[in-house]
Amino acid sequence: MVPQRRVLIVDDALFMRNTLRDIFATAGFAVAGEADDGVQAVNLFRELKPDLVTMDIVMPYKSGIDATREIVQLDPGAVVIMCSALGQESLVMEAIEAGATDFIVKPFRGEDVLAVVKKVLGE
Amino acid sequence: MATAAHKYLPLFIAESRESLAALASELVRIEQEPPGGPLWDSIFRRVHSVKGSAATIGLPEIVDIAHEAEALIGKLQAQKQKPERREIDLLLESTDALGKLVQRAEADLEKQKSLEVSPELVVRLKAAVKIRTSEPPPPAQPPKGSVGSARPVADPKIPRVDVSVVLSRACQAPGARALIVQRKLKALGVLLEMEPLPAQLMQKKGAARIVALLASDRPLDQIKDAFAGIPEVESVEVRLAPLSAAPPSGPVAGQPPGGHLPPQPMRAEAPPPAEDKRSEPTVRVRAQALDELLDQAAEVLHGIARLRDAARKLPEGAVFEAEVDRLRRTVRELHGHVMNARLTPFSALTERLPRAVRDLAHKLGKEVDLEVSGADVELDRTVIEVLGDPLTHLVRNAVDHGLETPAVRLAAAKPARGKLLLSARRERDKVYVDVADDGRGLDAGRLRTSAVARGDLSADQAATLPDQAAYELAFLPGLSTRDEATDVSGRGVGLDAVKGAVEALGGKLGIRSTFGKGACFTLELPLSVSMANLLLVQVGGELYGLPLHRVLSTIEYDLSARGGEGFEARSLVVMGQLVRAFSLAKLFGLPSLAPPGPRPFAVMEVDGVTFAVAVDRLIGQEEAALRPLYPPLDRIKGLAGTTVLGNGRPLLVLDPRGLAELAFAKAGPALKGAA
Repeated sequence: MVPQRRVLIVDDALFMRNTLRDIFATAGFAVAGEADDGVQAVNLFRELKPDLVTMDIVMPYKSGIDATREIVQLDPGAVVIMCSALGQESLVMEAIEAGATDFIVKPFRGEDVLAVVKKVLGE
Repeated sequence: MATAAHKYLPLFIAESRESLAALASELVRIEQEPPGGPLWDSIFRRVHSVKGSAATIGLPEIVDIAHEAEALIGKLQAQKQKPERREIDLLLESTDALGKLVQRAEADLEKQKSLEVSPELVVRLKAAVKIRTSEPPPPAQPPKGSVGSARPVADPKIPRVDVSVVLSRACQAPGARALIVQRKLKALGVLLEMEPLPAQLMQKKGAARIVALLASDRPLDQIKDAFAGIPEVESVEVRLAPLSAAPPSGPVAGQPPGGHLPPQPMRAEAPPPAEDKRSEPTVRVRAQALDELLDQAAEVLHGIARLRDAARKLPEGAVFEAEVDRLRRTVRELHGHVMNARLTPFSALTERLPRAVRDLAHKLGKEVDLEVSGADVELDRTVIEVLGDPLTHLVRNAVDHGLETPAVRLAAAKPARGKLLLSARRERDKVYVDVADDGRGLDAGRLRTSAVARGDLSADQAATLPDQAAYELAFLPGLSTRDEATDVSGRGVGLDAVKGAVEALGGKLGIRSTFGKGACFTLELPLSVSMANLLLVQVGGELYGLPLHRVLSTIEYDLSARGGEGFEARSLVVMGQLVRAFSLAKLFGLPSLAPPGPRPFAVMEVDGVTFAVAVDRLIGQEEAALRPLYPPLDRIKGLAGTTVLGNGRPLLVLDPRGLAELAFAKAGPALKGAA
């Protein structure tokens, strides 16, 4: 049996965190933690060592891009998926340069998120 | 696919044109290069990139020819043997054919006769590849090691792999997606080329096809499978590039001119090749947009000039004027920046010349080495556009008339191969272009004889004419020292037309020559031509502009005591020199509205001849963007162009040379003595 994948959800909007939590929960993932800014995201990553991080880009204190850079430095194998909005393509590209694994574009449907996640996790 | 591709068609055409022009000139140079040298990399890359783009757009004819040409280039490169002339000829023919097909794609002129491409070209290319293939192939499959190393220079022996990745239609951010693909490619080997680059796909939703050239010794299946973990990738094709040849050394940094590259921190560890010294990110801008920008910047300058005048009349004018001056300085800088953005490298002019020289030299049974220096010196776009024909003419002239056949050269104890040097250099606000050859030089004696025969000079005048002055006779219209015109350069545009074109730009054409040793034509060109400093004068109630760089001074003279206003021409003493003076009103058949009494004169100089024109009033000085005249106005002697003043009023700009010709033609030939 495949061990349950553990997700860290990072987004400053509660609505988005809830939406993502629902999507992951129904697909059998364990939501290991949630962060609402970049500083917290890095701390929780260090603490929880999740299999997957979903990362908002524009957040207070520390942007998703900077948080991603630090997370990838902590663990070069970290899987970080950027959650971006339409029109943020250059930010997404910056995040990719910083080491993000992949990205999804809001607004998204549950199956879109899962398709990307499964693809990058090789499932 | 097709819809996404068509958006890029204009970009494809522009880039392919540049690539093909550069390719032609490199193919000509390659004959003199050592086999397998770095120029081959560039040649290979250019054909490969045209092929890749054409495939992306869906132009199979171009792909077929480029593919075979690439195969032949790869063979020549890998075997490190000197190409034969017929092979270079075939590649040049292919370059021409590709050019025609690109042109056809642009105009969608499927049936245009002049753009027909020889149907068996692909067959002949294949045959040429086959001949080369029968020779021993290069050793393959050496050890790996460059992958992921600090300096991603691709070992020529690592196999080249063509990778084609199709992104799904649902792709919302193809730029970001392409960046992930690019990262994967870099992880698989040394990424030599990628088209389009991620930045080029930004903001373009939907399907896209990415083609890449990778140096990698991994199994093809493994490369293909590596893309399985990337979402939104619809299909991946991986195959060995048609040859295992050695293309460029650098990583994907060699961006196409249209690509706007985002900062790429990863490149810090992979410095671009030394030659790529101008790898600042660039954007492609329509030339017309720049022209419009320049026009508008000039208009703002004019507006400010008027504002400044108005400010003087205000009670608190001094403060206001200082502010306006500050603004004017800023706008002047802005104007300068726009002007600089319009600068185009000299290479835009020289790229097509090696081909012309080679073809012409072969036709005339001559051997000519063309050397270009200062290719990166920049000139105003207008200068570049106007200079194309005159420069080609000078170069053809040098090959046809200047340089001798090998037999003649050897007999004169010169090397069999003639030398033609084309160089550009910048000195302050001028650019000097030299066209120099080591041929026979100008024959002052024959020039004198021709001039006498045509009645330009008397025999006595000719006998005392110094050599340097005799050389300048070559600039007279219709004068030739050749008994019969060749079909190469003897007819049509002559040196007089070259001189005219250079002078129309506000430049000068000079000549130096040593009989038997060679000749050198020097074009002195302004860095920018669009702004002219004008002296505004009023005649017959109308305003005219005189180019200030031709005006030596202005003086006032009262002619009423010496016979009044009805003069055609008379002489004035200016700075101790006797100078012929003319009435501008008379020259143009206008009434003079000047009151009796002292009148202003503008003293001008053209070709060493000083003369003065009387005007009704001097109005002032203004900087103006000069616009060329269009037919039929361009046929009126004495007019140089038009401009629009800050108040929106159009103004005719006078041409001092034309004025001098008009004036002296009316006043009789005693002109030179007045100078």
